[in-house]
Amino acid sequence: METGLRILLLTALLAMLPGCASWRHHKGQPPSAQKVPTAQSPDEAPPRVVEPEVARREIKVPKIRSSNIELGLFYGELSIEDFGAHPVSGITVAYHITEDFFFQAEAGRAEAGRTSFEVLGGNVQLLTESERRFTYYDLSLGYNFLPGEAFLGRGVAMTSAFYLIGGFGGTDFAGDTKFTVNFGAGYRVVPVDWLAVHIMAQDHVFQTSLLGTTKITNNLEARIGVTVFF
Amino acid sequence: MITRARHLALAGLLLLASLCAPAPSAAREYLQLFVTEPYLELHTGPGRGYPVFHVVPRDASVDVLFRRTDWFKVRTERGVEGWASQGDMLKTVLADGSPFRFPLGDRAGFTAHRWEMGIFAGEYGAATLVSGYAAVSFNSQLQIEGAVGNFLGKFTNGVTGDIGLAHIILPESRLSPFLTLGVGLVHTEPKATLVQPANRTEQSAYVGGGLRYYLTRRFFLRAEYKAHWIFTKRNANEEADEWKLGFAFFY
Repeated sequence: METGLRILLLTALLAMLPGCASWRHHKGQPPSAQKVPTAQSPDEAPPRVVEPEVARREIKVPKIRSSNIELGLFYGELSIEDFGAHPVSGITVAYHITEDFFFQAEAGRAEAGRTSFEVLGGNVQLLTESERRFTYYDLSLGYNFLPGEAFLGRGVAMTSAFYLIGGFGGTDFAGDTKFTVNFGAGYRVVPVDWLAVHIMAQDHVFQTSLLGTTKITNNLEARIGVTVFF
Repeated sequence: MITRARHLALAGLLLLASLCAPAPSAAREYLQLFVTEPYLELHTGPGRGYPVFHVVPRDASVDVLFRRTDWFKVRTERGVEGWASQGDMLKTVLADGSPFRFPLGDRAGFTAHRWEMGIFAGEYGAATLVSGYAAVSFNSQLQIEGAVGNFLGKFTNGVTGDIGLAHIILPESRLSPFLTLGVGLVHTEPKATLVQPANRTEQSAYVGGGLRYYLTRRFFLRAEYKAHWIFTKRNANEEADEWKLGFAFFY
């Protein structure tokens, strides 16, 4: 095994060498590669009639600011299957790649209530207080499905988009973290270039065997959010 | 708890708003571009469907305020603000007459770019893996990359963090293989119910390879395999195979 590992590492290292070499090449040309301009003899130089005295205008090109990152907070209601609907809040970060697609990472937290079994059973406690904390994160790809404009009266027009979103992540609930698939849709209005307001609904789906049988749970979330573009 | 969360959210929002309030425009210097085509169309929003509401005539100039995806927000000499497409902006010139050039999200960009990021789903050991990565390129063939993963298994959960070098073998090709080599940390949380083993964080090293396939615009698919060696405090080191497939984009 040790020899196999050594060979594998060596192969990878060898394969990387050309990359390193081209980096050096990229940083600075070797002197031998540079062409030495041949001096022209004075006889061949064309006679100058007018000596131009106009200095060429130097253009300083200012950097163009990119505004593709969207950072914000949300607040809403999350219906945790068997544990009731409860307020949820969290943070989102999105990166707009093209006018159609964006990546989004988000994390949210809610406190689960009691199951009907616990309510009816009196002192029965299925979970401890810390296990009732429902924390999720996900990485998603969003698609601006119906871009458009929203109007406020005659004078105000705001760009907007109805978007679809889907991804995967993890949910920490009842003392375990489960692989979770999320999908949903939202509506984004951009009143000014740096600010956006979202209304969104999505489902977090994961498998659990918390209540005896293994089943797929659907945890629906509806929320509003405010984000800022950078 | 809820009130506290609400206060926290409000405070965060106020902080964000104060951070992001647009800087006074007078202090900022914008790039000035001149229209060489018969006219430059300005749209009401940054998308192909938004209507054209204004045109800038030939030889007039616009200031470039900022860029969002493939659209530029510009301001005309008369103060009209609108969105111009990437394709139209390519036909404008700088004050010295040289054409305006900027990185485009196309095949050439796939070959040579500065940043890339992506998300993956896959397997780590026998556990399901959710992972993300970001990379900075030194040149079209060599890049340094960092990856964070969360593996969720039947018996263990955990988090991995890797940093290493990636060598792209055929950067010009649409389907381009690559090799990776690096080190990392693995934090493991066993789930055993009878005996509660302690959570542990261990160092690891990996070697791997994969394929990148250019899709369109700024997107590519990335499939990857990594062989991890986890250096434990026990008698034998552990090995873990990581397989993953995901979307990535470059910028």
